[in-house]
Amino acid sequence: MAIPTQLSECMPDPIAPGTAREHLHAAKTGMRQVKQLLAQPSVENADQSATLLREVEVQLGCVAAMLRNNGTQPDAEFRSALEELQAEVAVLARFLAEGDKLLSGWLQAVQARRGGYTQRGQAAPLVLVNKLTVEG
Amino acid sequence: MGNLFTALNSAGQALQAFQAAIDVTQSNVTNANSPGYANQVAVMQSSDDASGTGQSVGVTEQTVDSRNQYAETAVQQQVSLLGEYQQLQTSLAPLQTVFDVSSSSAIPSALNQLFQSFSNWSTQPNDATAQASVISAAQQTGAAFQQAAAQLATITSSTDASMQSTVAQINQDAAQIQQYNEQVSSVGSSNPGLQAQLYSALQDLSSQADVQVLPGNGETVTVLLGGQTPLVIGNQLNTLQVANDPSSTQNGPPNVEILDSTGADVTNLVTSGSLYGLLTVRNNILPSLGGGGTQVGGLNTLAQSLAATVNNLLAQGSTTSSPPYQAGQPLFTYNPASPGGVAASLSVNSAITPSQLAATDPGPPTVSNGIALQLAGLDSAQGGQINGLGFTQYFGTLSASVGNAANNANTSATAQAQLVTQAENLRQQLSGVSIDEQAINLVQLQSSYQAVSRVVNIVDQLTQSLMNMVQ
Repeated sequence: MAIPTQLSECMPDPIAPGTAREHLHAAKTGMRQVKQLLAQPSVENADQSATLLREVEVQLGCVAAMLRNNGTQPDAEFRSALEELQAEVAVLARFLAEGDKLLSGWLQAVQARRGGYTQRGQAAPLVLVNKLTVEG
Repeated sequence: MGNLFTALNSAGQALQAFQAAIDVTQSNVTNANSPGYANQVAVMQSSDDASGTGQSVGVTEQTVDSRNQYAETAVQQQVSLLGEYQQLQTSLAPLQTVFDVSSSSAIPSALNQLFQSFSNWSTQPNDATAQASVISAAQQTGAAFQQAAAQLATITSSTDASMQSTVAQINQDAAQIQQYNEQVSSVGSSNPGLQAQLYSALQDLSSQADVQVLPGNGETVTVLLGGQTPLVIGNQLNTLQVANDPSSTQNGPPNVEILDSTGADVTNLVTSGSLYGLLTVRNNILPSLGGGGTQVGGLNTLAQSLAATVNNLLAQGSTTSSPPYQAGQPLFTYNPASPGGVAASLSVNSAITPSQLAATDPGPPTVSNGIALQLAGLDSAQGGQINGLGFTQYFGTLSASVGNAANNANTSATAQAQLVTQAENLRQQLSGVSIDEQAINLVQLQSSYQAVSRVVNIVDQLTQSLMNMVQ
């Protein structure tokens, strides 16, 4: 799904058309769904979050295209909504960065328990395939 | 083939095993909402014939705690970080009020009026009303600095009180864990109820400071602060206390330090949790603003620079516009012996009268309003007064530093709250599964998160572009 750069790329979509404000609202709704999904950690939820975030990208691309086309400066309410979205993105970015650290730490503990430590004192690499059968 | 007694014994064992399994289920249901409780799992296993024939002669039950140490540690670490960010959020909120940059707030408003009064005076240097307005604006400026210093002192006191209560809570949690160790040692083994109490105390302790839990003798636990100083070993308790750092009394309130029961300084071992948040505010943020420890503080730097610059210019001027020239009196006074207390002592020279304000620059050439003009242009003078900045701009940087820190704490606390939820959910999902399964799940999840993270970066860039478009 490519990010729209022209207004015409937003308008033909029967689901998406609307004002910049509506696209921004849709992007914020998408962000909220992503946050809810990621609180329940699973590969499926993470994949669904990625899909939702790509839709958020499209909505934001539409907002940008409409602003360029419109030429007028949006009002304070619009800017405030955009600031809220930016804050939500910052929270999500922070969450993912810290989540990555959490999983890395946990994985290292599991690796050390499973395979001990290397000579350099790092957790041993994980080898999950114990048996290999070669035929032919 | 076993005999009749073996068969009866086997049937009896099986009944006991199933009864135990029912008890475990009942215990799980009863304690479903108990803080710190982990599900117990009844594991059925065949029981070999004691005579050594290798034949299975029945079923026995062994209760296994589904608690997963990695998961517990992961949750405790996240809880500890959440404690830190929430504490920063709480402590920084009142600082934002003191360092509010809006024109209606005390210091920016007072500075604006002061420079406005200099400007008016420069147009009528001999006008008594204009001169009186300068003194009145200077009084308001002194009062604004004193008020800000007093607010910072109040925040410092309340931070000290919070630190005392946090350390008291840490000691209380540690005492609870010590009691657990004593009970386990006397009974010889733990039970789900005791363990629930232990993990509840550990989770609470984690929100206050970063602690590590190690298995001790038997089923006891050893709790370390920052991985080094023991808080609990067996039935021994090492209590913490808050003290002033005697080596940091140069600029107002000394820094605080955390001591263990032997009096050793363990402050550096506190690296997360609400205690770390409090230490950050008390030993770094507050001194950088209002002075304390080894720092003079931005507010004092501003007050001192403003007073010294204004007084210096007035001393160079003259109250008369022709010889004999009469040097002006200083407008501001402050305690120069206490660099960390300048803002608190800033006030108008009580001996000055409006006519003693020196508006004339004796030159040559003599300019009747030369000094007043220079004073009026001080805040916008090229090159600035403090680190290349004007006074109002400098206050703006202090305000921005507080605002950024508060904003960062808010973002971090929100993200961290979600991380704690995530870690708790992961703990629930992965408790009881094999290490290999855990590893596979974690690797898959990490890879998925990294993919999501890449998309978030793009969304972040897009949002930033939009922000630039609407500025």
